[in-house]
Parts: sequence; C-alpha cells; structure tokens
Amino acid sequence: MTTFKYSRFVSVLALLVGCLSLPGFGGLAPQEELLTTTAEPGRPGGRLAIGEPFEPKTLNPLNAVDQPSLDVIRRTMADLIHINRATLKAEPALAKSWTATPDGKTLTLQLRRGIRFSDGAPFDADDVVFSFQVYLDEKVAAPQRVLLLIDDKPIKVEKLGQYTVRFSFSAPYAVGERVFDSVPVLPRHLLEKEYQEGRIKQVWTLSASPASMAGLGPFRLKSVAPGERVVLERNPYYWKVDSKGQRLPYLDELSFVMVPNTEAQVIRFMAGDIQAISPLSADGYASLAPDQQKHHYKLYDMGAGLEFNFLFFNLNEDTEGRLPEVARKQAWFRDVRFRQAVSRAIDRQAIARLAYHNRATPLVTHVTPGDKLWFDSSLAAPSQSLPEARRLLQQAGFSWKPDGALVDSHGTRVSFSILANSGNAQQTQSATLIQSDLSKLGMDVHVVTLEFRATVDRILQSHDYDVAVMRMANGDADPNPVMGILTSEGSTHVWSMGEKKPPQWQLEIDRLMQQQMITLDFRKRKKLYDQVQQILAREVPALFLVSPNILVAARENLANVRPAIMDNYILWNSDELFWRTPAGK
Amino acid sequence: MRQRHVFSWAAWFLVTVNAAALLAGFVAPYNYETQDRLRPYAPPTRLHLVDCEGKFHFWPFVYMTRPGGESLTEYQEDCGQRFPVRFFLSGDGYTVLGLFSGHRHLFGVDLPARMYLLGGDGLGRDQFSRMLYGAQVSLFAGALAALLAMMGGLLVGSIAGVYGGAIDDLCMRVTEVIIAVPPFYVLLAVRAFLPLQVSAPVMFLEIVAVLGFVAWGRPARLVRGVVLGARERSFVLAAQGFGASRAYLLRRHLMPLAMNAALTQMAVSIPQIILGEVVISFLGLGMSEPVPSWGNMLAQAQQYHVLTAHWWMLLPALALVPVTLAYQALADVLGSRLQSRI
Amino acid sequence: MIRYFGRRLFHAVLVLFGVSLLMFLVQQAAPGDFLSEMRLNPQISPQALHTLRAQYGLDQPLPLRYAHWLSFVARGEFGYSFAYDMPASKLLWPRARNTLLLTVPALLISWLIAVPLGVLAAAQRGTWLGRLFSGGTSFLLAVPDVLLALLALMIALRTGLFPVGGMRSADPSHGRLADLAWHMVLPVGTLVLGSLPVILRHVRAAVSETLSSCYVRAAEGHGLRQLPLLFRHALPAAANPLISLFGISIAFLLSVSLLVETVMSWPGMGPLLLESILARDLFVVLGATMLSTLFPLAGNLIADVLLYGFDPRIRMEP
Repeated sequence: MTTFKYSRFVSVLALLVGCLSLPGFGGLAPQEELLTTTAEPGRPGGRLAIGEPFEPKTLNPLNAVDQPSLDVIRRTMADLIHINRATLKAEPALAKSWTATPDGKTLTLQLRRGIRFSDGAPFDADDVVFSFQVYLDEKVAAPQRVLLLIDDKPIKVEKLGQYTVRFSFSAPYAVGERVFDSVPVLPRHLLEKEYQEGRIKQVWTLSASPASMAGLGPFRLKSVAPGERVVLERNPYYWKVDSKGQRLPYLDELSFVMVPNTEAQVIRFMAGDIQAISPLSADGYASLAPDQQKHHYKLYDMGAGLEFNFLFFNLNEDTEGRLPEVARKQAWFRDVRFRQAVSRAIDRQAIARLAYHNRATPLVTHVTPGDKLWFDSSLAAPSQSLPEARRLLQQAGFSWKPDGALVDSHGTRVSFSILANSGNAQQTQSATLIQSDLSKLGMDVHVVTLEFRATVDRILQSHDYDVAVMRMANGDADPNPVMGILTSEGSTHVWSMGEKKPPQWQLEIDRLMQQQMITLDFRKRKKLYDQVQQILAREVPALFLVSPNILVAARENLANVRPAIMDNYILWNSDELFWRTPAGK
Repeated sequence: MRQRHVFSWAAWFLVTVNAAALLAGFVAPYNYETQDRLRPYAPPTRLHLVDCEGKFHFWPFVYMTRPGGESLTEYQEDCGQRFPVRFFLSGDGYTVLGLFSGHRHLFGVDLPARMYLLGGDGLGRDQFSRMLYGAQVSLFAGALAALLAMMGGLLVGSIAGVYGGAIDDLCMRVTEVIIAVPPFYVLLAVRAFLPLQVSAPVMFLEIVAVLGFVAWGRPARLVRGVVLGARERSFVLAAQGFGASRAYLLRRHLMPLAMNAALTQMAVSIPQIILGEVVISFLGLGMSEPVPSWGNMLAQAQQYHVLTAHWWMLLPALALVPVTLAYQALADVLGSRLQSRI
Repeated sequence: MIRYFGRRLFHAVLVLFGVSLLMFLVQQAAPGDFLSEMRLNPQISPQALHTLRAQYGLDQPLPLRYAHWLSFVARGEFGYSFAYDMPASKLLWPRARNTLLLTVPALLISWLIAVPLGVLAAAQRGTWLGRLFSGGTSFLLAVPDVLLALLALMIALRTGLFPVGGMRSADPSHGRLADLAWHMVLPVGTLVLGSLPVILRHVRAAVSETLSSCYVRAAEGHGLRQLPLLFRHALPAAANPLISLFGISIAFLLSVSLLVETVMSWPGMGPLLLESILARDLFVVLGATMLSTLFPLAGNLIADVLLYGFDPRIRMEP
C-alpha cells in the first residue's frame, strides 16, 4: 500500500515539475499514466558505454536499416505495442491496452495519457496518426512500410479520440499486435513541416543537433563525436517507473563507442573503455572466459538465438541459358537424394565445435531451438553418416571411380564450389569443414570466398554460383518475417528467386505459410508451421547448419542484465539497467 | 670479403627455404588439408627423450595429447604410450610439382598420435605443414610479384627520367593516379572479371599479376628521381658530350644506378607484397581455403585470443622476417656490385 | 617561378581528375551496389528499393552521374553519402583532421630522427655501429606493420600505461589536450616505427653516395673535421633526392596510417574508407581518395618549393 501511495506522490511531483519547467506545454494536461515495471528496483546514476562494430549511420528511423543505428534508435524512440524480448510476447508500451475484433480485422488502441516526448512536448493520437501516415507513404519508402502491408494493402489508421486510435487490416491478421513492434512513434510537432516539404528523410542525420530531435524512448541524444561515439542521456520524461516509484531509466548516460572489429571490442572491454559487449563472438567468449572472477565481469551464454547459418544449392532457373556450367550441375542439385546425401555427410557438431568453440547449436530447419514457441521438437538435427550418404548417392545413380572420385550416371566428376563471405570467419571455417566432409564422399569441392556485397550480388542478381553458405536472422520469433525466404514468391527466396514452376512441395509450403498468416488460433498456426518445418527437413532445399549462441559480456556490477535472443541482446531493457556500486567500477 | 660471406649465407638460406617449399609434400609430415578435429589449436608437440617415469631413451619420441581442462583447447599428454619419431614413414599422399607422387614423408609419428612441430590451427591442421605449402604460394608469388613491380617501375621510371618533357609528365601522372587509387577498390572490380572458381595455377599467375600491378608505382617514382639526379652527374654529362645516344646512356650509365634503387625497393617491398595477399584473399583474389598461404594463415592470426593463447599462429609473420632479411642482404650486395661497375 | 608552380598545380588537378574518372569506372565494374545489403532484408520491398535507387541516382547512366559529381565538386562539395544520408564533406573533414593529427607528428618525428641517424649511419658504414644500424632497420622493415600495431596494443593492455584504442576518454581526468596526447602515443609510435626504417635507409643511401663523390673526398683531404663535413657538405649535397622522398613519405605514412587507425580504432579516414568501400558508398570513397591524394600532392608541392629554393638547376627547366 505504502509503495502505491509513494509512487502516486512521485508521479504527481514529476508532473508538477514537468509543468513548471515547461510552461509552454502546460495547461490542462491529464494525469500521467505511467507503466510500472516489475524488475528489481535500482539506484540511479552512472554511465554505460557499449561497443559497436560500425558507426550508426543515422538517427532517423525512416532511414535506419543497419544494426548500430537501430540499436541507438530503439533507445531514443518507443513503439505502441512492444514485444518483450525476454518472453517474446507482445506487451503494452505507448498503448496501455488494445482490443481486437473477433474477425481479426481491426485493433483499437488506448494510448497512455499525459506522457511527453523527450523535449517535454505532450504525446497523443495525432502523433500516432502522423507517424503511420509517414511510414505508409510510398514516396518516403520507409523500411517499416512493408511490415504495415497486409495482403499488399496498407493498414488503415483512424483517430477515434485524443487517446484512441483504430487500425484496420484488409484481411484477418494473426498477430496484429506484433506489427507495432519497432515502428517508433514520431514527434509530429518536430517533423510535420519537414514531411510536408518532402525533406523528412534528410533530417536527424548524425550531424543533427540534439534540440531538433525528440522521442519517447528512455534516452535522448546528447552528442555525437564523428567516427568515435554517440552519447545518449537520460530522458527525464520517460513513461516507466519501477516498483519503488522511481522514474526510469537509472543510467545518466548511455554511449555507443565505435570499435571497428569484435576482437578490438574484447581488448577495449578488458581495458574498461566499454562495459558491455553485445553480441560477443564465440572467439571473444573463449578468450574472456578464463578471467571472469579475476577481472570482475560476467559472460552470458543464452543458447541458440534466432540466427541461422545455412548452405543452399543454386536452384535458380536459367531460362536464358547464360550459365551452362551451373545448369549442368543443377541436374545433381535438383535431385532430392543428392541434397539429402550432402546433408548427411556434413558434420554439424564439428562446425559448432571448431568454428564456434562449441557455442552453437546444430539445426535441422531455420527454426532454431531458441525459438521455443515455434520450434518443432519432433525434428532433430541430422547426424553425420557417410554410409547413409553413400547409399543415397548410389540410389540417385552416382557411382565411384577406383580412385574414389564420385561420378554421376553420365560419368561426369561431381565437382562444385561453395561460395562464402570472406568477412565472416566462422562461415569460411564452416565451408572449409564442409569441403573436407564432402571430399570424403569423393566430391571435388572448392571453397570460394568473396567480399560480402560481391557474394550477395552473385546470389541475388547474377545467380552465378553453385552452392553458397549464408547467415540470416529471423527478425522476430514468429513465422511471418520468414515468408520472404520460404515462399516461392519471396524477395529473399535465395535458392530459387522468382520461381516460375515451383515443385509440389514448394507449393505446399506456400499454401501453409499463407494459411498460417490468416489463422488466429496459436495452436492451429503452430501445427501449420510444424508441417512447413517437416517439409523443409525432408526436401532440404537448403541445409541448415548451426545457430550461433547468443553471447554477451558485461561488468559484474551492472544489474538487471537479462540478455534476450532478439534485437540488442543486452540493451533491450536499457531502461532497467543500473550500477550496483557507484561510478560503475 | 665480409660481404661475400653475407651473400652466401643469404643465398643458401633462400635456396634451402625455397627447396623445402617446393618439396613440401615430402618434407611436411601432413597434407595441408588434413584435419584432426579433436585437436583444434593444439600447441606445438613436445619432443621427449625422457619419459614420464624419468627413464632416458636414445630416440626422440612424442606422447599423444588429449583434450583436458575446461576449454576445448587445453591439452594434456597421455603418458600411456610412446610414439617414437620415425623417418621416411608412409602417410598422406602428395605430388611434387605435379611430376611425381608419393606417400613417404621425411619424418613423422604413427597415428593416432600427431606431431605438430609448430602447433595446430583452429581446424586441427598442422601449422608446420601448412607453412611449407603456404611458402609455395607466398615466397614464389611474392618474389615474382616484387620482380614484376621492379621491372615495371624500372621501365616507366627510367623512360620518364631519360626522355623528360611530355613523356615524363604523362608517365608520372599515370603513376600518381595508380598510387592514389586504393588498390582494394580496384581489385574489387578485377575480381568481377574472373570466373567464380579459378584453378590453382591460374590463381597463382593472377596473384603475381595483381600484386605486381599494385606495387609498381613507387619504384617508378623512385627510379625516375635517381635517373633525373644522375643525368646531371659528370660522367653522364661527359658521355653526352661525346655524343652518346640516349639508349646508350640508359643502358650503360643510368640503368645500373636505377637498378640499385629499384633492387633496394624490391627487397623492402617483399614482406608487404606477401602480406598484401591477406587483402586480396579477402576479395577472393588470393588462395582460398583450404589451400594455405602465409597471407591467409595470418589473416586468422589477427585475433585477440590467438595473440594471447595461441601464439604459434603468428609464426608465418615471424617467418617473414628472416626471409626478408635474406632478400635485403641479396639486394644490398647486388646493388653495391652494380654501383662499383659504374 | 609562377609559371613553374602553375604547371605543377595543373598537374595536380589532372591527377585528381584521372583518379576520379578511374574510380567511377571501377565502381561501375565492381559487383553489387549500395543497395545489395538491403536486398537481403525481407523488410525492404522491391518497390522501396526502386524508389531508393532513383533517390540516390544509381539508375542513371555513368556519364551523367560523373557530370553530376563534377558539378558537386565545382561547388566545393564531395557529393552525398548514401549510407549516412548526409553530405560526404561533413563526414570527411572531421576524420581527415583526425588522420592528420596522427600523420603530421609521425612525419616530423620520423624525419627528425631519420636525418641525423641516417647521416651517422652513412659515415659509420662498415663499422660495427653501422652494421647495427643496418641490421636494426632491416629487421624493422621486415616486421609487418599490422604486427607492430597489434604488439603495441598488447603492450598497452598488459601494462595499462596507454589506452588500447580510440581518441578520447569518456571523462578525461587531466584535461582534454593531455588526454588526446596520451591517446596519440601508441598510434604515432607505431607509425614512426613503421616509416622510420624506410626513410632512414634512403637517407643513408643518399648521404653515402655523396660521401663517395669526389668533392667530399677532397674536403676530407683538406682535413675538415668529420661532423661539420657530414652535416655542412654531405647532407646538403644529398638534399635533392631526400626532398623528393619527403613527398613520397607523406603518401607512405598515410597508407600505413589507414591501417593503424583501423587496428587501433582511431576515428580517422582509414575506418571510414574501408567501411565505405565495402558498403559501395561511392561518393564517400571518392571523397576520401581525393583527400588522400591531395595530401601527398600538397606534400610534393612543398617538396618542390623546397627543391626550388635548394637546387638552382631545377629553375632552368621550362
């Protein structure tokens, strides 16, 4: 009871202070509807510096696609309904509650009253309507737009009251509320003019002044040192309080320090320049692990995340006859027994052990064991079995020369190359291990490493490759974001782009994926998605290899560290992080 | 006298190293791609004469190692069984220069033990064997590329220096453009013109060409400077006075001087050229896994955990030092011989 | 004089023009473009990509884009960064300043050490001291720069005497300038170690050549003491090639600096150039290359001015 009174008292006080300091926005502001968190209450103060491998490119959510920019923007901005990174469930954020109609076509959101942007300006439904107008504008070409298209038609947004907004979908949508995650609300009072003048994508660059920016996230911009660091400071108007009634966040400052490679991050962490690494590489984990107690830091291994590494065969139809060499090899790749044989020949355990220091989990499909809601536990990662692989090859009409070389039914030596990204050491090592495994089957395999964009160009544009390894991450623990990879029409259906005559099983995947999208009941959706996973495991259009574990390092006395498997693993609850002892030492 | 001494030492050293590289298949105890997946980052194998019980043996032997301790890369010796070092034992098959093949190796131990003189890499491959095989690429390609760069530099630089005027201007502007454009960027485009999978000999020639092409700019400038300076020297002026043609001047007087400068530059640039292979490997222009080169072996070594825990991964970089020193000594001696001939 | 430097300036412009043209052609041939990475992002629709392509002008023909860029340059701009959505010059200037902060001190220090040391080494050629010199420089030459940088980092980490990267502390305890200087020690030290042996060798070679020439021998014969002989006669005589070397050494230092910056996370042009090449952020690459061409050219120009003052023969040239 007492805590309740206390928190009321504090919020009233905060409100008073808010009104006093900003008379311009004063007047009849409603009572602030704050969100009370359940995490361990902490002590305010201190700063946290975290390493980023690249400089954030922009502070504008309409341009941001790179991870460092998103890391920063997700601290300075907030969304209506948020996916809790720990439970992977949708939970209230700027919308305090919502109701869906039974047909799954509309969603009505009640917004938090009386809360303010980081510059003190009040927030209401107009900001929400404005934000979605911008995101849905075709001319703006915001990365969020495609998320807000259901069945290729944009979501409709209506203001029902100062704090009520209704969203309507053109078709029933299974996970309507998940759509709002990572679609930050923009401040209308700052951006409306720029939007009307068509300059909204040119604002909020790294050289923008902090005064020109505002958001609803726990932090706000303080300063940028080009190429060096981005410093955020505590947002005094943030809309969360802890169970003791203290307003979050606790940290006074959060800075993102540019450290060009992950190895250097380890060194800077050891020297104390940065206090957390997220994500930490498996190599980094191995080198930091021995000294945990001595140097007062803690390493976290959260198991498999949502990232998956996979190998796929080039099954693109070469209609113009541009690539006769590839077309010749596709005769092998199109035979499911050949693909299965390759899958059985690969030692996934060895990849996890040698390329990832045992901090990775072998996979059977793109759904990792870390995705606990959707993982089909009846499927197990295939174990290496060379006799089984030989049997499959024999069935498919392959045979062996006396010197052990594998030849197809026409007597042609089985020979192909594996394309890998040279910027990713683990991927190159995986490819080398696979090369060695396959040579035991008598295949003549070569590893070819190219720089990232050259690799992507071959995979997506020219289709001039045999087999490739790649990594992708599922943006959310939900089947919808992988539509682009799994369906034959998808824009990232890498192994066969824009398929004209998909095989039967691919049509089945397309159907199941479409159906799960409009199914509302979780158990029915899960059943549909399980079927998709089983087809993938059987037909192996792509061979899923391993999922690297989520690894994080942080100083020992940084409290409330609860690494998640999504987004920024450690910063997702940056508003709750605090230093147990002063000065962060 | 002393100079001849240095010269013969350097020459013998280089001959030995290059011969070992050529005969890598025989000298190396393992093939470069032989993996022992249970021994990633195995430390250098210790050769024993005294066993665990303190008994002395006349023939060196090794103990088998097993993973021990918490991390994957800590090993303990297993005193149970001794594996004596053997010579001319049978092992992985190989071919030397594509001419003859065999399976006998100069030295080694019987399986399941392994003798990793210089430790193992992250996939449990013998670092010593990989260094020998890698030298085939790095030493020969490096030296050839340096030679190519020197020739290019000599040609352009001396033409510019001797003829002067518009020709000089043109040559030097082109050289400056070549020096200015980041090679990394140009090579990105070069890779696009090659097929995805390139056979090893073609790749070798391509490495030589690429590395040589990138490096000719600086020697060219240097040579031009030397030639320009020499043109004013008395013996050249005298020769010119006697009506010597430009070609004669170039051949008889200017070239030896320029050669001296270019040779020094060449010796100096060899380690840079060998390391340049790291960069071109990244772009897919170098040797790709599992084929080793000192460049791509070192690319793995630039990691913190390697620096602290697996120091033997840095050995290719250290191997560069004596090789470069030997080349430098050769260049010095050759250079001073040329100078004395003027 | 004015005509001579006018010609030099014209050459510099010519080189910059050539570089930019080559860079544009290369960019056309390089696989992938700035949008490649976005193509992999399932969140970005093909329509959005199409809009972006048009926005960045990537769909225009090459000559048009080049002309467009030239018009930028005419206005003193470097074009536009696709990745940062802002003018490239805003990205480049602060980083160029940081790079110069490393290279200029490194240049001065290495020349200040190299000249006296090189002259002495030339004089001591053949003695044990001279051999020590040449052995030392040969060894330093043979050690790759990356290794030097990594070793410096390891020493910093083990001893805690120096920062292990970056340019500024979050809260400098001894004032901003002292903090900056403290951060500069290791990168500048690495640069000096990397460039010193090269310069030293050239100084030694140039001086020992003049030492063997007849007039120095004559002076020696007249009984001049060694030190004045070396510094008052041999060194000025060797100045000509050394001054040309000064220009080259700027280019050399700059290229080593790009590497050291990347290893030591110094916010200079190195990391930016690398990142923008990989991201195909054309105008930033172009701008960074222009700048790193400009600095050595400026160095060459300075060298030429010096040479002009030093060597009367040059003035005869048309």
